[in-house]
Amino acid sequence: MSFAIALIEMLTFMIFGVFLAAVLDAFFYRRIAGRSGVSLLMPLYAAAAHLSRQRLTTEAPDRLNWFLSISGFLALGAIGLAVVPFGPQTAVIGMETSVVLWGACESLVVVLVFLHGWSPNSPLALIGAYRYVAIGLPIMLLSMFVLIAVALPAESLDLRAIVISQEGLWNVIRQPLGLPLFLLLGLSLTLRGPLDYGDSADLAGGTSIEDSGANRAGWQVARLAMLVGFSAVAASAFLGGYLGPVLPGIVWLALKTLTVMAVIIAMGHLLARMPVARMLGLIWKVLLPIAFLDLLLAGLVALP
Amino acid sequence: MMDIAFYILSAIAIWSGWRVFRVDSMIRATFALMVSFICVGGIALLMSADYIGIATVFMMAVEMMVMGLFMVMFMMNPAGLNPMQMVHQYRLSIGAGIVAFIGLTVAVLATDLPHNPLPADRDTMRDLGINLLGGSMLIFETAGVTLLATMLGAVILSSRRGRFGNSDVGAVPPGLQPGGTPAGRKVEAGGGHGGHGGHGGHDMKIVKTPEHEDMGHTHHEMAEEKPAVSDAEPMDQRDHAVGHKQGAKAAEPLKPEHDHSPDPHKDHGNTPKKEP
Repeated sequence: MSFAIALIEMLTFMIFGVFLAAVLDAFFYRRIAGRSGVSLLMPLYAAAAHLSRQRLTTEAPDRLNWFLSISGFLALGAIGLAVVPFGPQTAVIGMETSVVLWGACESLVVVLVFLHGWSPNSPLALIGAYRYVAIGLPIMLLSMFVLIAVALPAESLDLRAIVISQEGLWNVIRQPLGLPLFLLLGLSLTLRGPLDYGDSADLAGGTSIEDSGANRAGWQVARLAMLVGFSAVAASAFLGGYLGPVLPGIVWLALKTLTVMAVIIAMGHLLARMPVARMLGLIWKVLLPIAFLDLLLAGLVALP
Repeated sequence: MMDIAFYILSAIAIWSGWRVFRVDSMIRATFALMVSFICVGGIALLMSADYIGIATVFMMAVEMMVMGLFMVMFMMNPAGLNPMQMVHQYRLSIGAGIVAFIGLTVAVLATDLPHNPLPADRDTMRDLGINLLGGSMLIFETAGVTLLATMLGAVILSSRRGRFGNSDVGAVPPGLQPGGTPAGRKVEAGGGHGGHGGHGGHDMKIVKTPEHEDMGHTHHEMAEEKPAVSDAEPMDQRDHAVGHKQGAKAAEPLKPEHDHSPDPHKDHGNTPKKEP
């Protein structure tokens, strides 16, 4: 019974999250472009427009993998949200290794984005796919160290225990290097702004260039769902998740998730994208050592 | 319930394992293998080996991704989209398959497998951690470092002999006429694309010293650059667009005189599968 309630909570959270993410995205875009006025119905119009268009296809695509990459991406976002506790001991997937499960989701994202670019049999999509793998893998390594650092004070790989361990002090203060590094992963997982090497405008849409109709709508929804899942994980791992005074836990979680989401979307619109090679250099030479430092500091703090 | 899940996962694992040898693309084969391993990870989850099961999933996802890319690079099949035969040396492989099957079956049947069900509240992850970083630490660390050294060595050894000769003596494509200037697009210092950025060990022909230190700029500029050698075959615009991704493609029409590397069209899938 409690599982059913948690599942319903999660689905509601996801639907509202995706909707709000789409609205926020449109808001930031129009704000920066100097236009005003965001209607709450805009995401629905966009979805209706995509769904009513016909689905075009390429010559000799790999239809199975194409479909699997889109639906799998959506599923990974949902799994990300499912490991997040909505209150003490209520998570849809409550297991001892939920952080590792989230790590598995991260690595499968790289595979699925690659497949999404590979399957249409189209050059720009393929370039996007290879570029994404080159950046996505090292960024994922980064997040592994950050997540291990988060697990250290909790002495557990369970996200529920990690949230409980932040009762006195949130991890964002205890491990100041963690959240910024983790947000970079979010940009990469949701294919946004400075780390959008898969779907970027310089490749005319990259891996999603050949998506049309329902496929395109599905891929965009999957990206937003991944944004919601990621933001909820980040809010739980660094901002104390459902912890907070007065208001019920799930409201706190929603507020924190929304904050992370807004930061990610704003970063996506405001920061510039570097050339792939320079970004690779930055990740391997600068960010990865910083992630080691984060882990070292967390270990030293947790040692006594 | 548990049994049904086990049979479903096993069936998918076996089916996708079989697909590895039946599909006609390295990328498809790679990810079919990944699905197979993920199902095995799921079976580990059923046996309440939580950590091992999920770690299998994420290790395999990363590993298969990297493996797929390396296979595509070494097979010189740009993009891994070209259909190719994944099975070769039929008689040898059938023999090896039968021998391996009999060997594994005998091993499974002859081993006295442990059957002591764990209590549900047993913290297997803690046991695993104590074991990994306790008594067996030296073994695991030694194995890890050895494997890493092996991987690096294998890549270095196999990447020395390139399509146009050894890379450390300046691999240059042959000329259009005998003894002529090297054909094809000129390679920028450092190979131009992606992670090859920093290391200056390449003895590639440097046509133009990049204005900027970083390689990122150069590989975008490269696309606009005219071939410096006037008699080199002009490439059409399409090749430029695709070119910086598939460096070898520009020189493809030319048959190298010294055929060092296996030609993917002639020699279907010499090493289609790398050990995971």
